[in-house]
Amino acid sequence: MLALTSTQLASAVDDLRAGLSSWRLSHFLAWQDVKQRYRRSTLGPIWMTLSFGIQIFTMGFLSAFLFGQELAKSFPYVCAGMLLWALITQTINDGAGLFVASARYITQIKCPLTVFLLQTLWRNLIIAGHNLAIYVAIALFFVVVPSPSMMLWPLSLLLVVVCLSWMALVAAVISARYRDVPLMIANIITVLFWVTPLMYFPEQLGQKRFIADYNPFTHMIALVREPLLGGTPTLNDWLVVLALTVLGWTGTFLFFARFRSRIVYWL
Amino acid sequence: MLSIIAKDIHVEFPIYDPRMRSLKYSLGIKHLAKGISRIATRNLNIGGQIGAGETGRIVVKALDGVSFEILEGDRVGLVGHNGSGKTTLLRTLAGIYEPVGGAIQANGRVFPLFDLQLGMDPDATGIENIWMRGKMLGLTTKEIKDALDDIADFTELGDYLYMPIRAYSTGMALRLAFAISTAVVPEILVLDEMIGAGDAAFLSRADARLKTFLSRTGILVIASHSMSILRQWCNKGLLLEHGKMVAYGALDEIVSLYQSKVATAQG
Repeated sequence: MLALTSTQLASAVDDLRAGLSSWRLSHFLAWQDVKQRYRRSTLGPIWMTLSFGIQIFTMGFLSAFLFGQELAKSFPYVCAGMLLWALITQTINDGAGLFVASARYITQIKCPLTVFLLQTLWRNLIIAGHNLAIYVAIALFFVVVPSPSMMLWPLSLLLVVVCLSWMALVAAVISARYRDVPLMIANIITVLFWVTPLMYFPEQLGQKRFIADYNPFTHMIALVREPLLGGTPTLNDWLVVLALTVLGWTGTFLFFARFRSRIVYWL
Repeated sequence: MLSIIAKDIHVEFPIYDPRMRSLKYSLGIKHLAKGISRIATRNLNIGGQIGAGETGRIVVKALDGVSFEILEGDRVGLVGHNGSGKTTLLRTLAGIYEPVGGAIQANGRVFPLFDLQLGMDPDATGIENIWMRGKMLGLTTKEIKDALDDIADFTELGDYLYMPIRAYSTGMALRLAFAISTAVVPEILVLDEMIGAGDAAFLSRADARLKTFLSRTGILVIASHSMSILRQWCNKGLLLEHGKMVAYGALDEIVSLYQSKVATAQG
């Protein structure tokens, strides 16, 4: 059942390679998705940013009052954290619906499955780019100066996105076969929100700090959030995310290689 | 030289009971659902054979040991009643379904044209749709750019090309889809039923375009229930029955064999 042939491995490599080299198609499809959102509201691009802004406005105050922080500290913290959280969770949730949503394409044309994974990643990055405007506004208002560790920011963002991509791919493959999985994933993510330091600081957990420390999402978020806030991600953050990426992709690749050709039959 | 070589290909579709699509259910209870094993013992008059697959799952054997060679210049018509495996064979030729047994090798770029309007977005303009549909068909940026004038010319859409295709009539949208799909002459063309271009006033021009398109392609494989269409476009025929290839040869022989079988069945 789990035996892998070299043909399967080679085909999976081909799929990834062909998908990456036709990145233009993914880019095109992702932009089309984003444009569709613009068209559905009169405010266009502003609408997406605005709804994120309202969420941050509410959560920023809530975090300040509930956890006794200064607004100048809570607002940038919540905003940077939620920016990442929205990117990560939306990508995984979209990942779960990925192949099912693209079933019409997958069953009608020969197209690397990787194209649709990249489409999802890119669409969510574009949306995160829109949300970044809110962070910039908040950072300017509260005069938050990014730290020199911003030099490594592109690298940390890239690492988080690569890590995220295997999570989305696993969710996509399992969800194509088992249709109740997207709902389970959405439930798990809702629970994870409360145990990830987004509204509160990890220190505030006191003795229960391990809850945050053992949560991989804490480190993925810290890696990108800290430089924005003027801090520096710890070596631990880097190591955890790096290990998660390498191990995760190894497992995911084998899993994908085993079931790739079956996915079209499940749709 | 262009060719398609199929050696003993087997394609099986797993059949899932709704419960087997649930991870929660599958983790808890043995895989084989009783309701499905019951139908396994029944013989059916149409469709692929139903039986246990390699791992004991219930499968429909959509293609059961099919072998043939199609060479450059061949125009092959697939005949057989509903569920005989025509569409499955076309999708296997296109590389969409990977056979569970045997091997299929296509020397040349296979261009499946099943749904003319696949990849078209009603909210996007005609031009945007040309790009999107073109990319979906695997055309290069250069190929699309070169085809733009020709498509505009042929469709006579004029300024409509800059409007969302939601505003088009059904015929106009179909004309656009048809023009994009036939913009580049493929090496190996795979069709499920003949394609058309909408309104009657347009028909003679569309016919001329179709004729050029179909006659220039290196290999044509088309499935159809219309013997007159097959007689018009094909020189060879391939008869399928319950997923098995019954005969492959000159079109006239295959058509008369098929018609005599239909006559006997209606007896």
